Amino acid sequence: MIYLDNAATTLRKPPQVSDAVRKALRSCANPGRGGHAATVRAEECVYRTRTLAAECFGLEPEQVCFTGNATDALNIALRTFVKPGDRVVLSGLEHNAVTRTLTGLGAELVPVTAPLFDADRWLEAFSDALTPDSAVCVCLHASNVFGTILPVRQIGALCAERSIPFVVDASQSAGLLPVRPAEWKAAFVAMPGHKGLMGPQGTGLLLCREQPEPLRFGGTGSSSLDQNMPAELPDRVEAGTLNVPGIAGLGAALAWLRQQNPEELLRRERMLLAFALRGLRTMGVQTWSGPDQIGVLSFRLNNLDNEEAATRYANAGIALRAGLHCAPLAHRTGGTLPNGTVRLSLSVFTEQKELEGFLAVTKRLLK
Amino acid sequence: MYDLFFTFRSVTYGQKGRDVLAQNGIRCRLLRAPREIAPGGCAYALALSERDGTRGRTILDRAGVRSTGSWLRLPDGGFSRLDL
Repeated sequence: MIYLDNAATTLRKPPQVSDAVRKALRSCANPGRGGHAATVRAEECVYRTRTLAAECFGLEPEQVCFTGNATDALNIALRTFVKPGDRVVLSGLEHNAVTRTLTGLGAELVPVTAPLFDADRWLEAFSDALTPDSAVCVCLHASNVFGTILPVRQIGALCAERSIPFVVDASQSAGLLPVRPAEWKAAFVAMPGHKGLMGPQGTGLLLCREQPEPLRFGGTGSSSLDQNMPAELPDRVEAGTLNVPGIAGLGAALAWLRQQNPEELLRRERMLLAFALRGLRTMGVQTWSGPDQIGVLSFRLNNLDNEEAATRYANAGIALRAGLHCAPLAHRTGGTLPNGTVRLSLSVFTEQKELEGFLAVTKRLLK
Repeated sequence: MYDLFFTFRSVTYGQKGRDVLAQNGIRCRLLRAPREIAPGGCAYALALSERDGTRGRTILDRAGVRSTGSWLRLPDGGFSRLDL
């Protein structure tokens, strides 16, 4: 199979990841729930991953909280700030993890829109929308539909000037682009562990520069007589048994990533993106692209419905994703409603020969 | 002998404190806090030598590792709260 659905989850991981998951399954008990050797091993495993993530994102270990995925992390972040009726400024590219959460909280959603790949216009639009009565601003770092990179550092500066809390969804960028919560002046940054960070599914991170409100309540292995959730991070938002095997795998993935050259990974991904883009354009395929883009590319075949196209690609052994990609707001902004697009997404393990295979199948489908 | 205890509500702070002390040449052990020094239930303690107590406390404070208390183990096995 040629796997080009890495924006959903990376399928190929460094081999150390599955080794670490297996080892943790065999040897780690419940962290923070006793003093015996198996629980201490679990605690050390979790702390190692926490420390690696903290180093990676320029934070202290306790500011790194483990969640089940980016959606959990975004739920925690948004529920910390949003009450019914609150005005929330968000990019017009947000995923349902943001928009459904805000809708569920009864917020007034104020989507900001601009031409997809024009960072200056995005910044102007945010500046216009960020009024003093805004409860919070939430913005993704890179779009899961179009690959657009938004200027989060500058948007964070605008928010800081106006004393508006800033939440960043780094689901598509973590592991590929530098993620710097302090430089972005972000209260919270959410991300999955299973995409660019190369960890297993069922892992996510919430990076905290402010005190979050818990989403789940329960045991933490600390201050057990107190019926309120602990004030200390990370315990405050880590009620219940942690996914220790997943966290162990994520730790192995972070250690692997640390050995890579991040600039080289980004250069390579952009080179592959340009290769795919050139190939599609040569065949007259409609594409969405621009100067600030990660390895996520939306396209449409003129002669096939998107879902039908994805099915035919799958039958030819190529994994892509079609439709709305759980981000109808992004498709509204991009003008691609109601049918969405077909999406190709790369990872550090994608090879040019796989893209050559994808382009060869595309050529056949266009006939 | 490890006879001085710094207590922490969260194991993460205990682990961070252990690493910070180790980086500064202070030997210690991280363990579940004995009941007498964990009035809130379920806590962690760094056990170290009494002679490293004042310096250890300074190092932890400087690193932002918040301890909930300092305790000295008495010859009879009990604990006495210290003001370090």
